Amino acid sequence: MFKEFFIKEITTALKRPMIYIFLLIITLMVFGAVVSDNIVIGGTIGNVYKNAPHVITNYAAILSIFGLMIATAFFNNAALRDYENEFNEILFSTPIKKSVYFFGRFFGALVLSTIPLLGVFIGFWLGSIIGPAAGWLDAERIGPFYAASFINNYLLFILPNMFFAGAIIFAMANKWKSTVISFVGTLIIIIGYIVSGTLLSDIENEVIGALTDTFGIRAYSIDSKYFTPIEKNTISVGFNGLLLYNRLIWSAIGILILLVSYFAFSFKEKQKKAKAEKIQPKTFTQFSLPTVSFSFNTSSQFTFFFSFLKINLLSILKSTTFKILFVFSAIILIANLQGGFEYFGLQSYPITYNMIDVISGVSAIFVIIILVFFSGELIWRDRASHINEVIDATPHFSMTSLLSKVVSLVVVTSLINLFLIIISIFYQLFSGYTNLEIGLYTMDFIYNSLPKYITWSLILIFIQVAINNKYLGYFISIIFLFLLDIVFLMLEIETNMIKVGATPSMTYSDMNEFGPALTGVLWFHAYWFLFGLLFLFLAGLFWIRGVAGDFKNRLQSAKKHLSAKYIAMISVVFIAWLGVGSVVYYNTQILNKYKTSKELEKLQADYEKTYKKYENITLPKITDATYIIDIYPESRDVKAYIGIRLKNKSTEPIDSLHFTIDRKWNQKIHIKNAELVLNDEKFDYLIYKLNKPLMPNENLNLVVQSSYITNGFENEVSDLIIAENGTFFNNYNILPNLGYSEGMELSDKHTRKKYDLAEKKRMPELENPCGSNCMKNYLTNGTADWVNVETFISTSDNQLAIAPGSLLKEWKENGRNYYHYKSDHPSQNFYSFMSAEYQVARKKWNGIDIEVYYDKKHPYNIDMMLDAIEKSLDYFTKNFGPYYHKQARIIEFPRYSSFAQAFPGTMPYSESLGFITNLEDAEKNNVIDAIIAHEMGHQWWAHQVIGATMQGSTMLSESFAEYSSLMVMKKSVNDPIKMKNFLKYDMSRYLRGRSSEVEKELPLYKVENQGHIHYGKGSIIMYALQDFIGEQKVNAALKGFLEEYRYKEPPYPTSLDFLKHLEPQVPDSLKYLITDWFKEITLYDFRLKEASYKKQNNKYEVTLNVDAYKLKADTIGNETKVKLNDWVDIGVYADKDEKKLIYKQRVKFDKENLSFTFSTDSLPVKAAIDPLQILIERVYSDNTKSLEEKK
Amino acid sequence: MATLKIENLTKVYPNGVKALDNVSIEISNGMFGLLGPNGAGKSSLMRTLATLQEADSGTAFLNDIDILNNPLELRKVLGYLPQEFGVYPKITAEQLLDHIAILKGITNSKERKELVNYLLQKVNLYEQRGKSVKGFSGGMKQRVGIAQALIGSPQLIIVDEPTAGLDPGERNRFHNLLADVGQEVVIILSTHIVDDVRELCSNMAIMNKGQIVYNGTPSNVLQELKGKVWQKSIARNQVEEYQKNYQVISDKMVAGNPLIHVLSESNPGNGFEQVEPNLEDVFFTKINN
Repeated sequence: MFKEFFIKEITTALKRPMIYIFLLIITLMVFGAVVSDNIVIGGTIGNVYKNAPHVITNYAAILSIFGLMIATAFFNNAALRDYENEFNEILFSTPIKKSVYFFGRFFGALVLSTIPLLGVFIGFWLGSIIGPAAGWLDAERIGPFYAASFINNYLLFILPNMFFAGAIIFAMANKWKSTVISFVGTLIIIIGYIVSGTLLSDIENEVIGALTDTFGIRAYSIDSKYFTPIEKNTISVGFNGLLLYNRLIWSAIGILILLVSYFAFSFKEKQKKAKAEKIQPKTFTQFSLPTVSFSFNTSSQFTFFFSFLKINLLSILKSTTFKILFVFSAIILIANLQGGFEYFGLQSYPITYNMIDVISGVSAIFVIIILVFFSGELIWRDRASHINEVIDATPHFSMTSLLSKVVSLVVVTSLINLFLIIISIFYQLFSGYTNLEIGLYTMDFIYNSLPKYITWSLILIFIQVAINNKYLGYFISIIFLFLLDIVFLMLEIETNMIKVGATPSMTYSDMNEFGPALTGVLWFHAYWFLFGLLFLFLAGLFWIRGVAGDFKNRLQSAKKHLSAKYIAMISVVFIAWLGVGSVVYYNTQILNKYKTSKELEKLQADYEKTYKKYENITLPKITDATYIIDIYPESRDVKAYIGIRLKNKSTEPIDSLHFTIDRKWNQKIHIKNAELVLNDEKFDYLIYKLNKPLMPNENLNLVVQSSYITNGFENEVSDLIIAENGTFFNNYNILPNLGYSEGMELSDKHTRKKYDLAEKKRMPELENPCGSNCMKNYLTNGTADWVNVETFISTSDNQLAIAPGSLLKEWKENGRNYYHYKSDHPSQNFYSFMSAEYQVARKKWNGIDIEVYYDKKHPYNIDMMLDAIEKSLDYFTKNFGPYYHKQARIIEFPRYSSFAQAFPGTMPYSESLGFITNLEDAEKNNVIDAIIAHEMGHQWWAHQVIGATMQGSTMLSESFAEYSSLMVMKKSVNDPIKMKNFLKYDMSRYLRGRSSEVEKELPLYKVENQGHIHYGKGSIIMYALQDFIGEQKVNAALKGFLEEYRYKEPPYPTSLDFLKHLEPQVPDSLKYLITDWFKEITLYDFRLKEASYKKQNNKYEVTLNVDAYKLKADTIGNETKVKLNDWVDIGVYADKDEKKLIYKQRVKFDKENLSFTFSTDSLPVKAAIDPLQILIERVYSDNTKSLEEKK
Repeated sequence: MATLKIENLTKVYPNGVKALDNVSIEISNGMFGLLGPNGAGKSSLMRTLATLQEADSGTAFLNDIDILNNPLELRKVLGYLPQEFGVYPKITAEQLLDHIAILKGITNSKERKELVNYLLQKVNLYEQRGKSVKGFSGGMKQRVGIAQALIGSPQLIIVDEPTAGLDPGERNRFHNLLADVGQEVVIILSTHIVDDVRELCSNMAIMNKGQIVYNGTPSNVLQELKGKVWQKSIARNQVEEYQKNYQVISDKMVAGNPLIHVLSESNPGNGFEQVEPNLEDVFFTKINN
């Protein structure tokens, strides 16, 4: 009997189209992703194959979330079909067994819901055959398939996910017998998944995040987070790691739910409740209705409208679905707020713009659910309730009723938004933050949310009316809201004018408020609102009053509604829409014409093909620059005149000058005694022929005119560097590029291949001895060495403008502020110009002005910043050498970018990065100290000594700046455990970074300007180095290196030049570290097998058994074991939390299995290999173990 | 004085079924009964008159309101109770009637409240006015439906199967209500229940296969059959035999045995006795021709 129900369930569904449609959709999605370069899910980049086992697993896992919808359909149907067909009473009176019926249906539905997900595999298979064959895809991007990828993904993701989801949906469907409630069950699963995701935001609690994820996606992503490309290409997901635990946990929970549901299930039908009626005395009186007056004019349509609205809102707000969505939106918001905006384990203050970001993330999901679900409900409710004929036969205009539905949707979505705002405000208050900015919440709602809600409501109502089938309507609505974006992405359509509801993106900044995007956003909102309104008028025509006829009937009835007045109204809206559309079109497509990314790509490729030949021509270098810059913040305009002095530093005469100019800045070049011989307007490449060649050591002056003028609004704001408050640009933005600009070249190897360009090296190879590449440094790339800068800069009278160097003079003129700055020492040709309404905090240290320029809304950490600069100056001047500027400035800029950057003497610092970080808890990492000390470190490492344009050079600036920063921190926290907690993030950054390496990984001394290596690995290695050879020794090496190259003309140093200074400082016994850490990729793998102690007298004798391996990795991540002969720390803690290290000893690890015995004075609780975690290891968790007592 | 005039109304469904086949009829004040078996086209006719369905051709006028081309005007004077009358979840009887009253143009809230209360009392639901209608029994829901159809002062009231689900007492009350209202306006009552028509209607029509097969007063049609209907109680296994030999109008079970009615100009003998024709006889005679 079980078999019959099971088979019947499957064969019935196989005869219907639904399952094939689902299968087709998933196959097509995956197929599209495999063959298209524009869709990236699951990390196919660089060397990872399009069909790598890792990628297949990501798809199978992520698409099983989509699979939920499918599961809902099948399980709900399995549970409710007999009830809905009212066949239950007949069926249940037959002598079938409950278990047979229940489980037959359940497992039938389970098999069915996994079938569409097989489309993942079909998609991969088809994609990897058809993609290369059709020329959409390089054959080399397809790797081999492994049977295990298919089988294991099915068994580990698809089946268990459908089983768990199915158990919940089936249980809820059986309990409540309502499709709506079943959908709510689906929502609960999705929401649970999102909530568990917020746990993952910090590495401290990622294990909990991994285990609580119902789909297992995050468990897998943690298991695989340090996978190298070769591992991603070859290792299929297996039955191990966190994933296995996760799968066991959730399958067990699924079984439990299924069993509970089974025992609660009964064939007996519950008594339907009907309200008992009181029998009343019946009186037969003459029927005479009270006389009433009637009105059918325009104002009565308003009364109709409000009555509709009231009834709509009453039934939505009282519905279970809405209440559940309401509660869940609150839960997700709070979970997000709790776990949000973290950086190095620190949270920022709950300032309002952070709240708004979180609200918009949370509300986006719920608003879409509400709009899709209730647009269908509102359109179909009358018919579902069998009251449509009565309502339809009343004398209201169809538009009145439809408009009330639109407004109902807008009101309900706004209510959710308002509710989230109120929760956020309470959250702020509970956190002790009282600057509530209700105005900002309101304006953000009005600018960003409300207009979208209106447009979407209008369109979705139209869709439901036009489609005239509730579920098909849902389907189309969802496609419209989600898939359309993907289609546009694939077609590379960038204009917001055809993506319904789209506007330029807009980021709120405390400094610059809504910023330059606002005008465009409002125009686009108007454009889409009118568009939606137009469709509502159409919906009004086709809205069915009474019985739906065929299409002909609907046309017939539409014609009847099309009165002269109606035509007039539609025309007015249409003309208004065309008008607004023309304004938008003119501004975004004509006035501010932009290139699509495809066009840009082609331009870059052609530029390279045409002008690469000039890359190595000899050009003079900049030696002096004088800037006259006028900033007009209110109109976002900048006008600049720049006087440049060039010097021929080569040994040969130069007869022509080449420039690549930036059209956006209208750059014009004036050179005396020169002739413009090439003016390529397509690539903006200019060649001037000098009437008289420039001889070696001769100088030449030229003037550049540069202006940035803002006109109207853009499709996407292209330059946020010029802002109403918070302008921040650098010399490269305003000056033309001298010669061929290598930075314009395409870098991705697949893109390059598309344009027949050879693979591009990220950096020239490290050479010894060094040739011409050492004549230029990687920052200015040969256009300049050390430069004197003088600036006259002006801005509006409420702003303060900053340029490099000392402020010589400031004055007011024509209601504007003027400043004259001059650099105190020749520096790198790399500096910023800034203007905003600043507050300034100052401090003096040994004759140096320490200054922090900040926005008045962010006063929290200013004193700490001043201190951090002081601490850095103190340590660096003592250990490295003098500071050559008369000031050290930190300057806040809007959060359009979130970085801090070091220019000579000046460090722009994003408002999102440290100004709002909550540092009240002294126990936590002090990120401000870390970042400021890093940027201050650059004043030595990058601005006093800079590497050649070559592999390994960023180590000399970034890794050293990191090291400098770590030393300042080490001195001030004076606690190795705290340092470990900070360095953990660097370790993770390196390991994660190498896992998504696009080309090949290189050792530290050959780093090619990659953050995960020069910051992440550099920090660990430099820190470990000072731990091994001593801080003084490392500093001595650094100082020696600095002194040899400080402010020197080329040749510039390479990483090998530094190693020359390092070697004498390293004792022979540790010389292997230079090879292992700098010159090769070395990983360790330690495991603490056993840890025990014995109490003897007043001492504790500790024994540790250790497995140890040392591995060398090649460039794509293949690891080989090498012989171990290394010094490693072992230690014990007096507590479980690994805070009190009571014993630490550096011992020699010389074989793979080792045993150590030592004694401690106090009770050892936990033992660790490499307790300070200074050696690079992928899995650290098996390095520690609680000690067992042995009698 | 209101008159409903239907001429040559035709409606063919996409599957070829003729729901209305050239229907012409004129109805004036008072209750008009529309009888017909399932699928006869009653509901199509009612829906068309209630502006809820498009007709392919023909005209329909209530006085001078062109129903087919000016639905909005008709809706202002229409009271309609469809066959399936449901209600919104979570909405009370009072809220629902208030909403419908507004939609019928009663925008004065004081008058509206008075009207709604009066109707609730008339249909005996005043006590339950604050309860969600969804939880009402079938009969109670039907009474809400009746109340809403009477809102305003409709010129044309269309009621489809109004007494289904009502107990005999409620049915009487409803008949009284309709009789009171029906003096001045056109009421079309569609039903299967022949007794309803007999008790209430001064005029009636019988529909079958989209056509009007009889239009007149109940008494006239009964007169037609007078003296031609004969009945006999027979054994169960004889039914087929009698159907072969006589023009059987109907057979129904009385006290366990079939009681058959036959149509015959003269006494068929064989134990048949003459009976007064009732509307049921008329109904079956008309639709079986």
